Amino acid sequence: MKRGLWLVLLTLFAMVMASCGNTGKGNSESLSSASPGETSEPVSLYKIATDASYAPMEMMDKDKITGFDIDFLAEVMKQAGLSYEVENTGWDSLMTSLSSNKSAFSAAISAISITSEREQTYDFSAPYFESTNMIVSKAGSGIQSALDLKGKKVAVQGGTTADEIMTGIMGEGSTDLKRFDSNTLALLELASGGADAVVADIAVVKEYIKNNPDAKLEGVVDKQNFSTEFYGIMFPKGGELKAKLDPAIQAVITNGKYAEIYQKWFGEEPDTAALLNP
Amino acid sequence: MSHFRFEIVADYLPLLLRGLGYTVMISALSIMLGALLGLAVGFGRMSGQLLWRAPAKAYIHFFRGTPLLVQILIVHFGLIPLILGTTNPIAAAITALSMNSAAYMAEIYRAGIQSIDKGQSEAASSLGLSRSQTMRFVILPQALRRMIPAFGNEFIVLIKDSSLATVIAAPELMYWTNAMKNQYMRVWEPYLTAALIYLILTYSMNKLLIYLEKRQGAAS
Repeated sequence: MKRGLWLVLLTLFAMVMASCGNTGKGNSESLSSASPGETSEPVSLYKIATDASYAPMEMMDKDKITGFDIDFLAEVMKQAGLSYEVENTGWDSLMTSLSSNKSAFSAAISAISITSEREQTYDFSAPYFESTNMIVSKAGSGIQSALDLKGKKVAVQGGTTADEIMTGIMGEGSTDLKRFDSNTLALLELASGGADAVVADIAVVKEYIKNNPDAKLEGVVDKQNFSTEFYGIMFPKGGELKAKLDPAIQAVITNGKYAEIYQKWFGEEPDTAALLNP
Repeated sequence: MSHFRFEIVADYLPLLLRGLGYTVMISALSIMLGALLGLAVGFGRMSGQLLWRAPAKAYIHFFRGTPLLVQILIVHFGLIPLILGTTNPIAAAITALSMNSAAYMAEIYRAGIQSIDKGQSEAASSLGLSRSQTMRFVILPQALRRMIPAFGNEFIVLIKDSSLATVIAAPELMYWTNAMKNQYMRVWEPYLTAALIYLILTYSMNKLLIYLEKRQGAAS
């Protein structure tokens, strides 16, 4: 009886594992067998996933999704002549649904940095946004660079490039690095005295400092330790949409629409040199 | 979904096991504190005096009637900084979990004690036992045995619920599961591994409780 229970559990686990393996194989087979001219069924309405909790890149305004990425996407899709709808799926479902090319979603836009680890599982569009990380701490903390954060308590949003860089600096198992579900919670931890600093995308930090003038915070850009990074639109591996959107992205950046949207959300002119000559 | 990459699991296994250590510690302390606090709340709930009964009832209503996730966030960002002057995710997790568990434990105590036939306490008092003696020597030993399955259920729920502490960055099992997920942007390896570890943990807990139940049965 008891042995029977274990057997059932193990079989169940094995089945789930096996099904993961199988779908993977199925995908790569169908990919390799498809000849270049043969495209999958044309999609009439592309569904795009986002995690709308990353102001000002994408956030909810009441029940509407808005933000820089959303405006940019609208221009790109118009340029490409495709109809689409954006859905707020949250970060986890965004990843899960995009990791299979049988997914209901054709792409995701969510301030997703292009990294080599991520490129193992997903395809990325041409870069459309240049960003860097910023350290935010209480004014007068004396923190000048990322290396000053060693031995201090640092809060980040888990899974961001800030997390990656600080893990590199502080060590993989460091207990001084606190990874939160969102930047909001990480910044709340700083406000509650549980962290000495938060590292996050410059746009997010600037927005937060602007909205919380009473908190007496200061932001530091550390060009030496935080390299610039590029956001891309993320696709399932082998999807057909990348080929359509890459030229549209270039067009939107060169025809001035990009600068217009950038001005609207950040109040300054973008430097697009790095985007056009990667 | 693509191939299950076991090397990712191997890479993170030391951290997952360290997280498991915290999960076990947080759960064990919360179970003990929750059982103690629950005993107090449970007796308050059964008290004949309104002064005791009303706050105990309010306590149970609050902690059973609000989501544990909300309680964890309130304790972490509100209660703990108020007491310690700074946040402490492990203290917050233990506090929130034991306070939450106490509300359920209180009701288990009450159900257990009230399930013992009135005749028992009548017989005890006719033998000349005081009220507290009756409780200690007659009612509680019988009631506790009846409570074991309900306790077991509550313990297992608590172990699973400790995973919610990941939102306040308590470095328990789910925290490292999320770290693994985020580093590789892959979902199935971390989640299935975590599910298996939690399953082993709750299964062993269940085994322990069945053993306790049997021993109690043999003792009587």
